[in-house]
Amino acid sequence: MSGGAGELPALLLALRLGDSGFPGGGFAFSWGLETALRDGRTDRRALGDWIGSEIDLRWVPFDAPALAGGWRASGAAALADWAARVDECHWAEAPRRASHEAGMALLTATAAMALPSAAALREAAATGRLRAHLPVMQGALWRAAGLDLPTALALSGLGAARGLASAAVRLGALGAIGAQALIAGLEPRIARAAAGPPPEGALPEGFPAVSDVALLRPAPDRLFVN
Amino acid sequence: MSGAARIGIGGPVGSGKTALIERMLEAFAADGTEVAVITNDLATDEDAERLRRGGRLAPERILAVQAGACPHTVIREDPTLNMAAADRLERQFPGLELILIESGGDNLASTFSLDLVDYWLFVIDVAGGDDIPRKRGPGVLQCDLLVINKTDLAPHVGVDFPAMLATAQAAREGRPVIASDCRRGAGVAEVIARLRRDVLFTAVAP
Repeated sequence: MSGGAGELPALLLALRLGDSGFPGGGFAFSWGLETALRDGRTDRRALGDWIGSEIDLRWVPFDAPALAGGWRASGAAALADWAARVDECHWAEAPRRASHEAGMALLTATAAMALPSAAALREAAATGRLRAHLPVMQGALWRAAGLDLPTALALSGLGAARGLASAAVRLGALGAIGAQALIAGLEPRIARAAAGPPPEGALPEGFPAVSDVALLRPAPDRLFVN
Repeated sequence: MSGAARIGIGGPVGSGKTALIERMLEAFAADGTEVAVITNDLATDEDAERLRRGGRLAPERILAVQAGACPHTVIREDPTLNMAAADRLERQFPGLELILIESGGDNLASTFSLDLVDYWLFVIDVAGGDDIPRKRGPGVLQCDLLVINKTDLAPHVGVDFPAMLATAQAAREGRPVIASDCRRGAGVAEVIARLRRDVLFTAVAP
């Protein structure tokens, strides 16, 4: 955005939808970080690498195409088809279930807010007609709200980085000041991916092996959903 | 908000929230009220498992929601996961009348979002100290019903219970306060009667 006055409504919309205070349940997901810290797979010094890898290996190759497909889908049937394909692209049950649960949470909140399309999407997901994977739902909801695709991707990428950093703060592995430095360091990568959206039809792929294994590890005393 | 009434139950760690719910489930089982429970334990599903083991409610009517290390966030700033769990229970059990949402133990500043619940209780206990009502935390002041539990422990912890109760009543400025001993069941009937009058609209409070 160039910052012209005419772009302020779009900027404000993006800031509101992407605000860390926007309720969507995301704060309760650590995407394997909690288990990885507990098991010593990462630590305070390596946290930046962990979160960077999550952006490079999960968000860029998997979440970004999933979101782009959700944003581009025209109509309920096309969106359901795309969400089903994204569902098939998950190689393991734990990340598949977590993605669906996070998406359902977002639909619950946005339907309660009466955001465009949210109630219909929530109903379709609750009755089993739609797999509510988080990035797909972000794409559909944010397009309906009026965001263009690069902005939607930027919100999603920044949200992923911030969510992980926030989980690290609550787990005592990172300070709030350090978290901002870490997120700032990731912004160029997120901006690159958002500026050149995945081509139409590009399927989600990627194998963030260590964090997916962390997601699969049993953790009966965990604080986070995953 | 439509469907089952949603009741929040918050309060500090160890004040007796789960014990109160166990007693409430006995009463609701006895009169056939359709109930489900959502727990928000800090870590583990301990509270949910305790309620399941209690056998007062079918296990599938008890859901555990993880709080992401933030017990107050999941009931106040971002109650989305609890809303989603409550929606799921309503779909699964169409005749549901009440959903009890137990917060993980938190401090005296925790409150429930009215996006999540229709009514909420705050449970403190005598052993936590008679200064709790005097501190006038948002939980004590803003809840719909304040429960002071473990009244039986007052002589053992040096608390002047009548004075503590009077302080709480003064702080609440006429809003309800009920004393209880959940282990023995004292005061639970009053809590149930209050819920019937204020939430279920099926009875008159004593």
